[in-house]
Amino acid sequence: MSETTSRSRTIMVVGGGIAGITAAVEAAEAGHDVVLIEKSPSLGGRVAQMNRYFPKLCHPTCGLEINFQRIKKSKRISVFTFSEVSAVKGGPGGYTVTVKTSPRHVKANCTACGDCAKVATSEVSNAFNYGMDSVKSAYLPHVMAFPMRYVVDPSVVGTPEGEAIKAACPVGAVDLEQKDESFDLEVGAVVWATGWRPYPAANLTAYRWTDIPDVITNVEMERLASVDGPTKGKIVRPSNGEAPKRVALIQCAGSRDLNHLAYCSRICCLASMKHAAYVREQLADATVDVYYIDLRAHDKLESFLNRLKRDPQVNFVKSKPARIEKSEAGGPVVCGENTLTREVYAEPYDLVVLATGMQASLAAEGQPSFAADFDDYGFVFAEGDSIAAGVASGPLDVSMSVQSATAAACRAIRAVTA
Amino acid sequence: MNAMSPTPSKAYDLNFARWVYENVDGGDRMALCMQCGTCSGSCPIGTQMDHGPRKLFMMIRAGMKDAVLSSNTLWNCVSCYNCVVRCPRQVPVTYILHDLAHVAVREGYAQAKESDNARFAKAFWWSAAKYGRTDERLVTAKYYFSFGVGEGIKRGMANQKIAMGMVKTKRMHLGMPHKVKNTGELHAILAKAAEMEAKKHGAK
Ligand SMILES: Cc1cc2nc3c(=O)[nH]c(=O)nc-3n(C[C@H](O)[C@H](O)[C@H](O)COP(=O)(O)OP(=O)(O)OC[C@H]3O[C@@H](n4cnc5c(N)ncnc54)[C@H](O)[C@@H]3O)c2cc1C
Ligand code: SF4
Ligand code: SF4
Repeated sequence: MSETTSRSRTIMVVGGGIAGITAAVEAAEAGHDVVLIEKSPSLGGRVAQMNRYFPKLCHPTCGLEINFQRIKKSKRISVFTFSEVSAVKGGPGGYTVTVKTSPRHVKANCTACGDCAKVATSEVSNAFNYGMDSVKSAYLPHVMAFPMRYVVDPSVVGTPEGEAIKAACPVGAVDLEQKDESFDLEVGAVVWATGWRPYPAANLTAYRWTDIPDVITNVEMERLASVDGPTKGKIVRPSNGEAPKRVALIQCAGSRDLNHLAYCSRICCLASMKHAAYVREQLADATVDVYYIDLRAHDKLESFLNRLKRDPQVNFVKSKPARIEKSEAGGPVVCGENTLTREVYAEPYDLVVLATGMQASLAAEGQPSFAADFDDYGFVFAEGDSIAAGVASGPLDVSMSVQSATAAACRAIRAVTA
Repeated sequence: MNAMSPTPSKAYDLNFARWVYENVDGGDRMALCMQCGTCSGSCPIGTQMDHGPRKLFMMIRAGMKDAVLSSNTLWNCVSCYNCVVRCPRQVPVTYILHDLAHVAVREGYAQAKESDNARFAKAFWWSAAKYGRTDERLVTAKYYFSFGVGEGIKRGMANQKIAMGMVKTKRMHLGMPHKVKNTGELHAILAKAAEMEAKKHGAK
């Protein structure tokens, strides 16, 4: 950076999950201007997509709601949804960041009355529910979306349906003319808080997620169990809508595997304990078998694991299943070797949940060259000028993500005040 | 490198484990095995193995030389490579089993002489080394007669119909055995290889 470049004290946070929100709020409350860039229509990230979250099995509203309030109250935070970073130039204290936005087709004066959705006729896949159901082409991303503003899907632009949607809005908030845009921002520091995506279950070919409907992933399980999910919170077999009697949870589906994610994703053992608890709370007769290599309950969360170990309807099988086969009736049959008894088994189940791990979003996007330094696993290597918060920096749970976000805010503040 | 695997001084001798890590093909990756069971669960004939690869690897780590080298797991592997493809630690399970089978042969373990698969492997190699090709008919005959003349004839007769069917569909031929153009050169190459192998391991 040349001496003549002007320095900016503004901090940019990329990614509006729990980590990005925390970093933004902390920096703003310490007196800095913050730009928060979020790719999706709403803030909240993956936490918003949980049914409940440990340690206390809270609903995601606790945690998110208060932070949304803090953002609303703050005059220093500008939020850009539907936005991504496409280039970064300069250095610490003086970056020029190019931000690319795609159209929401709904302006800020939207009151979320929902009249547009009433006249929409076509449907689009519901990304919030991982495509397990669909939504109207004019939709609210989810019940606690922030900003609380509808989205009109680009597929209806230029159609009579689009015109009807526009006409239905009582405050004239629908704007079908919006286009992709690109603009530059001058900032002094960039915090990467881009989080994770579930490791694609389709890559785990031996587990047949793509062709056996009753094999689902752990993130899909969170949506199945949520009252605002595709089944209104009922845990059912996707194949026939019936309550499952025998459920299998398969740990390390892709994690700790040199062919997939080489590292332990750290939270999925406990996430599966949540799932065992969801099943046991809803379905009194159901049994749950947990297939594991070894069970990893980090920090003070071992008591949660022990609670489920005491439940006689939750069994633990020390084995990484070799494959899942399809029974004649089309259901999943889990096959492998029980490593404690050496028995080779083939067990039929009504529902199988794959505990897929967390893959760094930026790694999945091919590690953009303008982003920070990366470690061998594709997480941001947070050292020197490279600042990261939450799962962008490694597989963390919510409380660890929040801690790392506060640390990232401090480092960003130091970078812009140096 | 040691010529032969160390003679155990007790049932559990870690010197054997170390020797396997250093001398067996793929043995260097065995330290990465996390005992997950994917290999033994993936094996199409896993139920017909006394131990299966996962347990066998633990036995190697424990230094159980005699138990390892007389295990039928070495001989029942059919080289389908399911385990190699799925092993989360990329342990080359198949290579390790095959190389341990070699060790068992070299060191004169009984299973290595008597198991069905060892007999078949020997018949296969006999044809490959002699003609540079495997001749179905001769390999099968050689294998059948390895059980004795009477048993050989019995097995041959029992499978006559299959053999005729194969001849008819041109899967097996009757005339002279198939062979490579210059078997003399092949034999010279193999003799040299045997000489190098003997130097490496010491013949027994
Ligand atoms: C099945 C499962 C269950 C879990 N349950 C629990 C639990 O009960 N308790 C717990 O503590 N933890 C749990 N976790 C872990 C928890 O999900 C994470 O700790 C948390 O999501 C981390 O938040 P984050 O902000 O770092 O990332 P994210 O939640 O992934 O948020 C990242 C945000 O960045 C956005 N983004 C991504 N890329 C870009 C980009 N290029 N540009 C702009 N924006 C971008 C995303 O849209 C998203 O909004 C669970 C994980 C799994 C897999
Ligand atoms: S947390 Fe558990 S399920 Fe997840 S990768 Fe680690 S050991 Fe496997
Ligand atoms: S699959 Fe690999 S890691 Fe798992 S037990 Fe077998 S050799 Fe070990």
